[in-house]
Amino acid sequence: MTLKVKYFAVLRERRGLAEETVEVEPTTAGGFTAWILREHSLGLPPALVRLAMDGTFLADDEPLRDGAEVVLIPPVAGG
Amino acid sequence: MRFSLTREPITVSREPSPGAGGFVTFDGRVRDNADGQSVLRLEYEAFDEMALAEGQKLVEEAAARFELVDADVVHRLGLLEVGESAVVITVAAPHRREAFGACEWIIDQLKWRVPIWKKEHYASGESEWVLAQASPTEATDGLYDRQIRMPEIGAEGQQKIGAASVLLVGLGGLGAAVLPALAGAGVGRLVLVDADTVDATNLHRQTIYRRSDVGRGKAERAARFAKELNPSVDVAAVPEMLDAANAERLVQSCEIVVDGTDSLATKFLLNATCKRLGKTLVTASIHGFEGQVFTVTPDGPCLQCLFPETPTDGCVDTCAVNGTVSVVPAFFGVLQANEVVQSLIGGPVLMDELLLFDLAGKSMTKLRRWHRPGCRGCLGEFVSETPGWEVDTVEEAQERHADLQVVDIRELDEEPDGPVGSTRIPMGEWAGRVPEAPTLFICASGARSGRLVVDMRSRGVSRVYSLRGGVHGMVERN
Repeated sequence: MTLKVKYFAVLRERRGLAEETVEVEPTTAGGFTAWILREHSLGLPPALVRLAMDGTFLADDEPLRDGAEVVLIPPVAGG
Repeated sequence: MRFSLTREPITVSREPSPGAGGFVTFDGRVRDNADGQSVLRLEYEAFDEMALAEGQKLVEEAAARFELVDADVVHRLGLLEVGESAVVITVAAPHRREAFGACEWIIDQLKWRVPIWKKEHYASGESEWVLAQASPTEATDGLYDRQIRMPEIGAEGQQKIGAASVLLVGLGGLGAAVLPALAGAGVGRLVLVDADTVDATNLHRQTIYRRSDVGRGKAERAARFAKELNPSVDVAAVPEMLDAANAERLVQSCEIVVDGTDSLATKFLLNATCKRLGKTLVTASIHGFEGQVFTVTPDGPCLQCLFPETPTDGCVDTCAVNGTVSVVPAFFGVLQANEVVQSLIGGPVLMDELLLFDLAGKSMTKLRRWHRPGCRGCLGEFVSETPGWEVDTVEEAQERHADLQVVDIRELDEEPDGPVGSTRIPMGEWAGRVPEAPTLFICASGARSGRLVVDMRSRGVSRVYSLRGGVHGMVERN
């Protein structure tokens, strides 16, 4: 399946780009998050990164839709 | 200069005042309707002694404030028919501007400060004592005039804002933008919490502070700023760091909590405390040109619903490490203040959404949040386990593995030296490499080592650890 991935905050910095299109086997929100963090050595455990699709955060076991735009949100601390 | 009360119809005589170029008279009369009801007559009563004293003080204040040549105020008491004068204010000033201004100021202040009550007798045969006093918000020199004009706010909304109390935790970049907006809007009580002192590196973005404030307590300087901006706001300065010991007491003292901190631990602690005590929390965080903001209401999804595991400070960097520019905290602080205002006037808030904004690209994203079943944060519990890959001391890691090696991953020129027995192998040399023995990685703050260890663990390397707080943390502890 094809996913358009958007990165925010520290993930955008560590990945070095704001968005990209990736090809993956059909997967869930949790499975994809763990894979992409590992794939690009983004240095955050999957439990600390949330994934949203179609404007809603997903639970880890929810499936991703082919062609969807997904957003990855890390914790943000600055104030 | 005289304030008087009379039970007879008011007659006004103007004393000649050679220095006065402008005389203005305000004649307040009995109107034949009030709140849609037909009014036949009015009855005024006063607590004479107090009304005379306060009225006289008011006239003298007006004279000093507007540099009046003369001022005379007469208030009628007793039963008045429609069309009769209830109060007549006459002022004489050198110029017309001061004369008009003084007249308006006196009538606003008089309604608020002077103890005079009125009873309305309606055509329906009923009668009712009504508060002759205007709200305090109308008596502040028109300070709130422009916002009361907004149909969404009005006098009623202004009353709600004036009756509210807000706890502002963190008086850095976000807090310094939240404060002027809330003090200006007239939030009744502001409690300002921060243990820090003003540093020269704060001034470019924390514009409520002056260069002369450097080295002084933020809470006290911020309170002074708010008081100067709007003396009618009750401001309290709390020069403490919010922690588990004082969180409950501080949060309990206000209705709405605004999180302007740069600590993940404090954000999650505030979240749990607000949930436990049924308070509303407005939280925001910034990173580079981006930031996020949302509101946790007593019934809505919370921060812990979003992140069931509390991230440790150091897993992502703060402004002190990443850098920041004035516009970003200013923008998000104002969005936080807006959440407070909306919440008070019953407007929409981000109660089940998270708003992301990128100030570089000018793009906004709203993401829907939901209740996570069994969320401990919603139950008011502060979840703060140290993750398995992080240790607080070198000894803690040594207890787990006798053959532990300690590796300092800072660059070769970074100071101070790592702990005795550690080897320095910079971060860059670890790409794709796996340590042969159990390893504790250390860096300056714990951010780089945490990132390296998390990455190794995601690849199945298990016996690797990161020292929380890094070398700086060790130095501070010693």
